[in-house]
Amino acid sequence: MNEHLRALLLAVVVVNTVLALTTFAIWFERKFAGRMQSRLGPTRVGPFGLLQPVADAFKLMQKESIRPRQADRVLFELAPLLGATCALGAAAVVPLAPGVAPAQLDLGLLFVLAIGAVTVLPIFIAGWSSNNKFALLGGMRAIAQSISYEVPLLLAALVPIVLTGSMDLSEIVRQQAEGRWLAVWPFFLGLPAFAIFLLAMLAESNRIPFDIPEAESELVAGVTTEYTGMKFALFYLAEYAHTLIASALAAALFLGGWDGPIAPGLHWLLLKTFVLFGFIYWVRWSLLRFRSDQLLSICWRWLVPAGVALVAGAGAWVAWGPTP
Amino acid sequence: MTVDIAFWVAAAAMVISALFVVRSANLVHAVLWLAVTLLGTAVVFALLDAPFLAGVQVLTYVGGVVTLMVFGVMLTQRHDGSVASASNVQSLRGAAAAALLFTLLLVALLRSDLPSSAESLAPDTAELARTLLDEHLIAFEVLSLLLLAALVGAVALARRGDDERGASGLPRARPRARGEAE
Repeated sequence: MNEHLRALLLAVVVVNTVLALTTFAIWFERKFAGRMQSRLGPTRVGPFGLLQPVADAFKLMQKESIRPRQADRVLFELAPLLGATCALGAAAVVPLAPGVAPAQLDLGLLFVLAIGAVTVLPIFIAGWSSNNKFALLGGMRAIAQSISYEVPLLLAALVPIVLTGSMDLSEIVRQQAEGRWLAVWPFFLGLPAFAIFLLAMLAESNRIPFDIPEAESELVAGVTTEYTGMKFALFYLAEYAHTLIASALAAALFLGGWDGPIAPGLHWLLLKTFVLFGFIYWVRWSLLRFRSDQLLSICWRWLVPAGVALVAGAGAWVAWGPTP
Repeated sequence: MTVDIAFWVAAAAMVISALFVVRSANLVHAVLWLAVTLLGTAVVFALLDAPFLAGVQVLTYVGGVVTLMVFGVMLTQRHDGSVASASNVQSLRGAAAAALLFTLLLVALLRSDLPSSAESLAPDTAELARTLLDEHLIAFEVLSLLLLAALVGAVALARRGDDERGASGLPRARPRARGEAE
């Protein structure tokens, strides 16, 4: 029983840490966006507006919880919960420090990719059960986008698997800590794979410039159109948590995870995660939305062939490249 | 002990959700129940010490196949927006066929000499890869070729439909999606 209790405690700690980081990430984005647009961002609540996410949470909790009469009752209520569960589940295997990960799985990367593949279902359920044209269109677009970008994402994730010969995230990071980061050497394989991974992750998390599923100027708010209060907040949290965990994963796969001099591993992981997170928001606030056909053409004409070539290249590198 | 309880919970969830798959009048509900059934299969794989199979099951079936089916259901909606309902007209004959298949599989399984405990199997991922891509490489490649041929065939069929019918009322910006609807 002790073992189960420990697992439960660990889960509570990890989920709450991710949620706390996520609220901070929302503050970070608002400040960041403000600076990019020559504004100050939130300043009123707490020092530097640091308590703004708390105020937002209280505001959302007070809102009335509305369910459209024609909505599919069970699925409508279930979708936000499933969405948050899928987004947070991936946090379980991110290696935090040498030998430390919430759950040590031999197939950790496969676990993350499997959860990532399921993440689109809650979005679709939300879109369909709302019984609203805009929500439905948003759900359709989310699925079209997600099944397309699943392919380059898997191909890009295969490159570190082939290069390190392991699907255990801790092992992948350990090998990078002992040798070189995969984005540094072999850079001609690591860097493009890193770029494809980031792009596909961006697309999977429905962020600008890949945000056609919620395109607020066309679809009101896409799948979240009918959601209010905490149910909306759960979607919002899930989206940010997904981006945050995706950044941590990219850092673990290509940038050596917890590897770094002097400071403890966790600090390095957080630093890398937030640099990547900042980069994603830099892109988000700089670019415009792609059209659906552009989106699919980028995926199938460029990312998928490049991904296949990279996997083949990684195989060749392992077979005939110089031994480390 | 824990494994036993987990197995029976997963098994019960699979059977119940499978019943809902064939009994629900709404196609979208049926597909979502199917997702539950497939997740149950993944849990059983995981309990049998086959984590790789469990992961791939979730990745391809729940993540891929169910998503594609949902996509298909959505695109075959009637144009007034209502969802095409699943008919249960053939349910008796369907039940008979299912019972027959079940008996057949049960007899085959009981007569086979497959090991009944997980410990004796438990191949790790590397072993699995060697078996698939070394021992059975030809069969594996032929299978991939077959799937590719099916894919090309599906696209060709969908394309031929395009020329005859022209715009089918679906969004123009997504030609690939239209192909999947046929």
